[in-house]
Amino acid sequence: MEKLAGAIAVMISLLSPLALAGDKPANPDAYLYIGWPNDGEVIAAGKPFRVWFGLRNMGVAPKGVNIPNTGHHHLLINTPLPPADQEIPSDRNHLHFGAGETEGMVELPPGRHTLQLLMGDDKHIPHKPPIYSKKITITVR
Amino acid sequence: MQKAYVLAALALVGGTIFPVTNAATPAPENAHVYFIWPQDGTVINGGKFWVRMGLRNMGVAPKGVDLPNVGHHHLLINAGPLDMNEPIPSDRNHLHFGAGETEARVELPPGKHTLQLMLGDRDHRPHNPPVQSKKITVIVR
Repeated sequence: MEKLAGAIAVMISLLSPLALAGDKPANPDAYLYIGWPNDGEVIAAGKPFRVWFGLRNMGVAPKGVNIPNTGHHHLLINTPLPPADQEIPSDRNHLHFGAGETEGMVELPPGRHTLQLLMGDDKHIPHKPPIYSKKITITVR
Repeated sequence: MQKAYVLAALALVGGTIFPVTNAATPAPENAHVYFIWPQDGTVINGGKFWVRMGLRNMGVAPKGVDLPNVGHHHLLINAGPLDMNEPIPSDRNHLHFGAGETEARVELPPGKHTLQLMLGDRDHRPHNPPVQSKKITVIVR
């Protein structure tokens, strides 16, 4: 038992340099997901579509609001997760929903695109641990 | 300058004649709260389900947050009409989501039940105009 605990402690110490994150704690049970579109969805080109942001065991708060276990949504488009200990970039690949929005309209050119959600704290920095959704792929045509 | 005094005096008079108009927090005319799930007429086996709360043209913020165009969700279960000038009651028929939640785990006994969403401001009062969903009926078997 002690040996196991020791092994776990070593594993955690080895992992920690990789597990960089902001300092705002999030409920480890928080579950973030894209409610729509579904993974693999084919979407008609030339018109915007609505992305539903699903969140369980955590609350939404606009940017600048510092309340435990809350954050605001960021939609990552065609980009990997950004560094977890820094402000989430704000550009066409990283859409911020700092007014507390729980869905967003997006229009993308024809082709394959990835979508992923990432929560940010009052200062747009991911939580500890970072709360992010599965990355999905959609096709616009 | 004199004009300013007159305007101030008029404002004071207005304030005393129409004190109620100051009470409600304004909401955008196109704000829209709705059920992503369940839908009107959904049959739920077993009675345990997640309610997914949708909001457009407005943001979610926990109770107590004083920002424009935000509110938090309230789920009315088998509830009667509300007094729009009073805080939304907090009881088993009026569930508050003051932590900024956008989903709720609900358990209901077998039978027909009505569900309605109502947004409340930082003090749990309905906005002006009130932001409320259609009342839907679900059947638990």
